[in-house]
Amino acid sequence: MNVKTNKDKAKIFLFSLPALVIYILFLIVPMIGALYFSVVNWNGIKGAPLQFVGLENYLNVFKDKDFLISLKNMFAMVFFSVLFHTPIALLLAVAINTKFRGHRFFKVIYFVPTIFPLTAIGLLWYFIFMPNGSLNSLLEFIGLADLAKGWLIDSSTAMGAIIFVNIWAGVGYYMVILLAGLTTIPEEVYEAAEMDGASAVQKFFHITVPMLKPIITLCILMDIIGTVKVFDLIFVMTEGGPNGLTNLPTTLMYYEAFRYNNYGVGSALGVIIFVIALVLTIGSESIMNRKEKNQ
Amino acid sequence: MKKKIILYVFVIAMALMFIEPMLFTLVSSLKGNKEIFSSPFSLPEVFRFENYVIAWREANMSRYFLNSILISMATVIILAIVSSMASFTLSRFNFKVNKFLALFFLLGMMIPMHTVLVPVSYIIGALELKNNLVALVLLYVAFSLSFSILVLTRFMKGINASLEEAALMDGASYFQIYFRVILPMSVPAISTVSIFNFLGAWNNILFPLLFINDDRLKPIALGLLNFSGERGSEYGPLMAAIVITILVPLVVYLLFQEKIESGLAAGSVKE
Repeated sequence: MNVKTNKDKAKIFLFSLPALVIYILFLIVPMIGALYFSVVNWNGIKGAPLQFVGLENYLNVFKDKDFLISLKNMFAMVFFSVLFHTPIALLLAVAINTKFRGHRFFKVIYFVPTIFPLTAIGLLWYFIFMPNGSLNSLLEFIGLADLAKGWLIDSSTAMGAIIFVNIWAGVGYYMVILLAGLTTIPEEVYEAAEMDGASAVQKFFHITVPMLKPIITLCILMDIIGTVKVFDLIFVMTEGGPNGLTNLPTTLMYYEAFRYNNYGVGSALGVIIFVIALVLTIGSESIMNRKEKNQ
Repeated sequence: MKKKIILYVFVIAMALMFIEPMLFTLVSSLKGNKEIFSSPFSLPEVFRFENYVIAWREANMSRYFLNSILISMATVIILAIVSSMASFTLSRFNFKVNKFLALFFLLGMMIPMHTVLVPVSYIIGALELKNNLVALVLLYVAFSLSFSILVLTRFMKGINASLEEAALMDGASYFQIYFRVILPMSVPAISTVSIFNFLGAWNNILFPLLFINDDRLKPIALGLLNFSGERGSEYGPLMAAIVITILVPLVVYLLFQEKIESGLAAGSVKE
């Protein structure tokens, strides 16, 4: 609509005012605060004076062995999530898309974990992984009792267990997205390939994967950014233990600030998480844009 | 035929991977403590529904449950109102400032909750907002505004202008145009956004973890952790509490399956 008078413009602008006020007070101001808090020291006591320390908090973060461990964990988690999420999701989507008897039921089963609170999921798996939990009972039952261990306590399996649960809890999400992509591939393409005698495997690699490439890329990029923000699972399953070996930057940030009262270091970590997420988002946007241009 | 068999073996094997842990939780929620460990994979000898009563009454799950309903609904309603109003400005008028405003609202997408935890806890302390549910809801609103406004603006831009122009000719005020024309036509998009906002608020623990420590005010995801921390060895009732916690998202999904899936597919949803 075209509006002429300034009075009308002001009236219309009023509509965005409530959103703007909430947004600024509860998101923009805290964000600026985050930058500020990362260069001061605060002891966590209400009203205590804030002491300017420059980049000291950041230096402390990068010197901290725990931070390097958390970064390493983050990369491992991203790597394995990308390796398993989208490929498994794609296979499931292709299977569902054949519209076999009962496909709707199966879709629901694969998808539901993705909408459950991760605290509940983490707790659910915690009881499976615990020393006297059902995974060890199962191993005992099938005669592999010597494999049994405290999966989340043992430093060699704890991170792997968390990565597994994160994959388990996310596959359905990417499946639904890929499934929507599959429906856009015209049936004739497959029919033509069938006439030429293409096998199911050939059709998958020569038609499905290339046609879905933009959506597959999107899934992978969303996966990377989402994995960086994982928090609840670790908070519930291991609390970053044993010995801080399963921390991600997100959990480390939380424990530094709210368990050890290192608010400066916690803030610096928060800003570092922001930068990681920002770089990944901008990077993925530009990859997607380049993809679109190429097509 | 052979293909069919491979297909079924695959989908059933995968389904077991997904359903088995959930089924185990459900079955265990009806067992006694001893039974969970002595025969973890069999059906309960007797169905101990009292586990649910214990979780619901004694472990306060009823309280947490109602808190979460209240918190999530308030978040959804406030978001629907303020984001649809802002989207009205952004989508239906071509002001120069709109471009800037749209971009400004988009910024929030890039800000992880973790980044603001320390300043938020400082502000909460300074303004004495500890255990204040209004502050919690407004934080949820602020962090979901970007997504809601993005989706609604995109949707509203597609609404034909002739209707509101006719209304304007008839002397309708801008509020009437928003309320009588644009809002009703945006119901499909608003409902999609609301479902995701509801789930987001229901599933979040990060903000309540920070400043809701009064047990009577905790939302369900946090209350569940509370329960497992305090009475971690009452496995039956704990499993029942897990089932109670995931029940609402499950029902929401089953009711709005199509909307959730098409919403995700539209690529409009952030994690």
